[in-house]
Amino acid sequence: MKKRCVITGLGIICPIGNNIEESWNSIKNGRSGIAKVKSVNTEGCYADLGGEVHYDALPAPQYDRSVRLCIQAAQEAIQDAGIQDKEVGVIVGSCIGGAVSIDEYLTAQKQGIQKDDCIVNMAASSIANHVSAYFGLHGATANIVNACAAGTMSISYACDLIRSGNGSMFLAGGTDPFSSLAFAGFHALHALSVESCSPLNHSNGITLGEGSGILLVEEYEHAVARGAKIYCEVAGYGVNGDAYHITAPDPTGQGQMDVIRRALHAAGVTPDDIDYVNAHGTGTAKNDEAEFLSLHTIFDGTDVSVSSTKSMTGHCLGAAGAVEAVFTVKAVSENVLPPTIGYSEEDRTALEEKAGGLDFVANDSRSKEISMAMSNSFAFGGTNASIIFAKKELQPQDTPKKKRIFITGFGQVMSQDTGTPVAGLTLDMKDFTERGVKLGVFRKLDKFSQLQLISGIDALSCAKISVTEDNERKIGMIIGTSAGPVTEVSNFQKNICEKGTTAGSAFTFPNTVYNAAGGHFSIFMKTKGYCATVANGTQAGIQSICYAYDVLQQGNEDIMLAAGTDEGSDMVTYFYEHSGINGDRTLGEGSSTICLETEASVTQREAVTYAEVAGYACTHSSGMEDYTEATAIKDAVMSALAKADMQTEDVDAVYAITGNLPDGEAQRAVLSDIFPHVETIDVRQQTGDCRAASANAQVAEAAQAIYQKKIAVALAVSYGCGSYSAIVLKG
Amino acid sequence: MEKTEVAAKIKAMLIENLRIPEEILEDDSELFGGDIGLDSVDSLEIIAGIDDMFGVNMTGVDKTNFRDINALANYVVEHAEA
Repeated sequence: MKKRCVITGLGIICPIGNNIEESWNSIKNGRSGIAKVKSVNTEGCYADLGGEVHYDALPAPQYDRSVRLCIQAAQEAIQDAGIQDKEVGVIVGSCIGGAVSIDEYLTAQKQGIQKDDCIVNMAASSIANHVSAYFGLHGATANIVNACAAGTMSISYACDLIRSGNGSMFLAGGTDPFSSLAFAGFHALHALSVESCSPLNHSNGITLGEGSGILLVEEYEHAVARGAKIYCEVAGYGVNGDAYHITAPDPTGQGQMDVIRRALHAAGVTPDDIDYVNAHGTGTAKNDEAEFLSLHTIFDGTDVSVSSTKSMTGHCLGAAGAVEAVFTVKAVSENVLPPTIGYSEEDRTALEEKAGGLDFVANDSRSKEISMAMSNSFAFGGTNASIIFAKKELQPQDTPKKKRIFITGFGQVMSQDTGTPVAGLTLDMKDFTERGVKLGVFRKLDKFSQLQLISGIDALSCAKISVTEDNERKIGMIIGTSAGPVTEVSNFQKNICEKGTTAGSAFTFPNTVYNAAGGHFSIFMKTKGYCATVANGTQAGIQSICYAYDVLQQGNEDIMLAAGTDEGSDMVTYFYEHSGINGDRTLGEGSSTICLETEASVTQREAVTYAEVAGYACTHSSGMEDYTEATAIKDAVMSALAKADMQTEDVDAVYAITGNLPDGEAQRAVLSDIFPHVETIDVRQQTGDCRAASANAQVAEAAQAIYQKKIAVALAVSYGCGSYSAIVLKG
Repeated sequence: MEKTEVAAKIKAMLIENLRIPEEILEDDSELFGGDIGLDSVDSLEIIAGIDDMFGVNMTGVDKTNFRDINALANYVVEHAEA
């Protein structure tokens, strides 16, 4: 039977409460947490409201606010679940990552102060690792950085990892702090509401929020064996791409409806089975119009109730999906419908017209028997996610037959190491026009998106795949990155640090979200399948392949592109020079994309296969004595081999990206212990250290060596932010 | 302010802020259609840039005034405070 995933612990901190009890009481009483913003200077701004967390006792002051909020929520979830186990993974969704630390760093720099301690907190890559380290955990980690869908996707990814045997318990959810970056960005886009946001009602803009929601996602048998309290089951979920616009939803609601249907299909239920929908409900005119249309199309004629809890919390961005998942789980377990607040009598009359036959819960919470509920998230970059929680016992589903997955194409754009400390890569308009990219698209791309678009296009072209209306929903993409769009983020932030919050650039802001590159790719190529971006250090370039492998096993997609992309920037150079992580290795930039494909699709297309993915594993060490980094890398390698049904002697070549500090020596020592018969290959010698791009490129190189029959079996492994991903390829 | 001077400043802003290649941008190039293909987000950036440089607020102004650099410059010259 397919492994079942259940929720056994909840934790939250958000504008309407510092824990579950406070927040849920606010929901039941329709209490808003929106007030005048204190943490961001709103001078000269046309709007000044926000939902902020006011809690003086946040733990771990050494970390970014995103991490501190997340630790607070995770602490509550761990206590609620009653676990002491350390083998717990951490999957965190975030939109803006360490934006508060970037702001702090640049603001200090303007005053002539160099705050180097901020640097390690800047990238979203660090969040899950820091949370894991705080609790001394050693389960697999990831940061899902798909903007406002991230909190929902992290829960679904935790379920994927449980089903693929990469852990039994995960702290999954999302976190985002209130930040000048997000406030200035939405202000520049004129997307902020002057009054408190009024989703599914006046729909005149969003109000930003902050916070973290964490759910303990646990394998059902594991939960039963330890006598855990089970709130409900994760019945199903779906993720896809709109392929429409970088900030606006498709007004026809096609992507939203498709993702809702994906979730219903995965759960094996119909719209009639859903008793409550926690809507994305941001309160922008474009979102609400598209969402009304989607909800009516899918749910008209059912007894479903709908509300947007953002009317109370504000839009918590990367935390939104997780905070709303917590409320949805509470709704299911307590049979209470959360309301959308803010309707006047006049508004209620207008709502009746918009609601048609659907029950939009206005102003007051109500009791209702809720067996099954859905939470929807629709993000920048066009990422949509939908998840269903069920109280009632579901019909157990058969384990889908394990699919064979092949590598059928590559695309790469990488710097060349010419002996200088930093190797850059310049792309110009010609590189794009020769790939059919017009100026209107090219202009919108930051460096990170440029790199990803080129390697992605080339990978599809190498695999001889054309995107058509027939296969567009069957093709998706997972991008792995260490530092994300760091140049665009720092340029945007520098501008507002110098000139104030009103100086945010509407043009730049959409590219500050980590999944913009994936969004640009999907919009250009019209790919509408699963899309995710994972920030998790260098090894994210392999983790993306592992993630894509699991997505293909679920059966919605035939083809998944899995990429590693990292750009150079002054900030990255400074960090690497001062941390000594890289030793004397040249720092490069680039993007590498691999095309993965199911056996059925390969056969049907008569595609050339370069290698088969035989197995993979992801591990994590917080550097604790009871589970060292050496143990983590060994476990990743041995577990990947076991899943591939192979022995160490079967491996002909080992591709490894290891560190330069003592931990790197330890990593290499472990590898030479396991594989005394082979030299490890480091692909960074030609390109410089392109971080996630290098991690991905080594898998491409291994696959090509297999195709050329130089070797029969290869293992590729990489490290980053305490995590290790290992993958085994065979001919 | 002279129109040519205004137009030159607007052109520089479009090149810098909206990544339009200099070699294809003429004073009569259509901004929101054709090859350049600006969109609503770009128009927000133009409004912010013009407000910043000339103190002229173009929020809600008819889109014909955004047709090309000439139209933008004309609007600015007509509405800039002396």
